[in-house]
Parts: sequence; C-alpha cells; structure tokens
Amino acid sequence: MFPPISPADLATLIDEAAFAASRLHRKLVLPAADLDDLRQDLLLDLICRLPGFDARRGSIGAFANIVLRNQSSRIAIRHHRQRRAQGGTVISLDAPISGGTEPLGCVQAEADGLATWHGQDRSAVEDAESHHDLARALGDLPDDMRGLCAALGTCAVPEIVSRIGISRSALYRHIARLRLDLAMRGLGAEWDGSKAA
Amino acid sequence: MHPTAFTPAKPRPLTDIEFCAWIGQAMPGDRLEYHRGFLGIDATAVISTLPEPDRRRLGALASAAHRAFEAALVHLVQVRVGPDRFAYLAIARTKPRHAPIPLSQLIATEEAA
Repeated sequence: MFPPISPADLATLIDEAAFAASRLHRKLVLPAADLDDLRQDLLLDLICRLPGFDARRGSIGAFANIVLRNQSSRIAIRHHRQRRAQGGTVISLDAPISGGTEPLGCVQAEADGLATWHGQDRSAVEDAESHHDLARALGDLPDDMRGLCAALGTCAVPEIVSRIGISRSALYRHIARLRLDLAMRGLGAEWDGSKAA
Repeated sequence: MHPTAFTPAKPRPLTDIEFCAWIGQAMPGDRLEYHRGFLGIDATAVISTLPEPDRRRLGALASAAHRAFEAALVHLVQVRVGPDRFAYLAIARTKPRHAPIPLSQLIATEEAA
C-alpha cells in the first residue's frame, strides 16, 4: 500500500493543482465559477494517481506537474469537443450573460431551459395535462387496445409476441390500429386543415 | 357551437391517420367529407377503378371511419351527388365520457393479472 502522504507533500499537490487549474481556466476562458470545479477535478485525479509515484525517479512536485499537465490536456480536449458540439460557445447556467448580474439559470423560463434545446420543452403543467389526456383516452379505448397499451408499457415486442401468441406482423397491425384509436381521441396526431386542402 | 361549413372533397385524398386526427380535434357538429364516389366499389379489389395504392388507402380510411362510428365518435352519412356517386360525410359527435384510467394504474393491473 502507498505510504501516508506527508503534510508538506500534500501542500505541494494542492499548490500544483491550484496553479494548473488557474492556467487551464485562463486558457479555456471559462466563467469564474468553474475554477473551483477544475481545481477539484485536477486534484482528485492527481490523488488517484499517487500510487504510481516513485520517489527514486523524481520529486513529488515533478510527478504532480506531469500528471496535471496530462489531465489538463484531456479536460481541454473534452471542453473543445463540447464547445464544437454547441456551435462554438459554452454557456454556463451559473454565470450571468451579456452584462447581466443574475446567473443564466435564474433568468431562464422553464420553456427556455437546457431541456428545451434538446427537444424536451415540457413544463410540469404540460406534463400534468398530458397525463390527464392520456388517462381520459385510455378510459375511452376498447378493452383489447387498453390491454395492448399496458403490454407495450411494460414489455418489449418479442415478449408480447411470445406471451400473446400472435405473429409479429399481426402485433404491428394491432399497434397501427392503436395509433388510430389514440389519434381519434386527440393523442399523437394533429389535423391541419390547410395542409389537407 | 355552430357546425363548420360543409367541407368538400379535397384534391389531396385523406389518409386514415389524418381522418382520425380530425376526429380527435373536431367539435360536435363539425363535418368532413372523407370520400366522394361509390365507396363500396371504390374500396373493393378487382372492381375498383382506383389505382391500387389509392384503393388500399381508401380501404384503410373506410375502416377507420367505421371504427370511429362504432366508438360513437362520429355519425357517418352520405349525400347523393349524382347517379352512383355520393359524398361520404363524417359528423363529429359529443365525445363519450368514460372514467379516466391513469397509465400507471393500467400497467399495475396488467402486471397483477
């Protein structure tokens, strides 16, 4: 087992991690609130790699320097990848934007949140209404379609096929009919008179 | 609420899912012409004069209309517009009211069975 680290060495690690975090934070032009997270990530990675430290090959400061440099590089690569995926910018919910004083997370409406960017623009009210609409539609469905709904809610298609004893194509025909039944009750499809014209 | 104006057959034929979506959004009294011709013949293989894809679409539409009628969601009526030619209308009815069943309850019942 790796021997307990001395207070002096621990202080060296903390200092090196803080220095590396500041350098990375500056290079990536991150919001101030991210500095603590970076420092903690780097220090944690460094401590995890301490068992690989060999005092005969160099000082603990040099070891920390190499480990921190490599981990900083990995974080920077990951960060750049995320930045490219988000169109070249990174916005933090904890940081104010465009001269404001409130963090972005405090000024955004629910419909403008991160979930909305990923197609999940749902609020709690809309969810409650959807649940109510679904319950009403389920109550109106014929018994066989209601049973199919329940089965689809808990089982995969192969399991339903084996349990009910029908062919896969027959099951898909039932599902197509279920889709129509739900559409008749206002779920899943929208009528657009102008498109139909 | 006043029924909407009579909707003539559209140049682009309806599909079954569009028809069902219309039912889902229609107010009682709203009406939709979902076919014009002779449905019994137009939807039957061999005797229909429609191209096969259209005939299949019409068959599915007619089945959906009948299913909606059986669920008491629409009245199905026809208006004679000429010899062997009819306008087939769906008239939305007041939606039947059944007790709502939450999906979680439905699944729990299914698992218990």
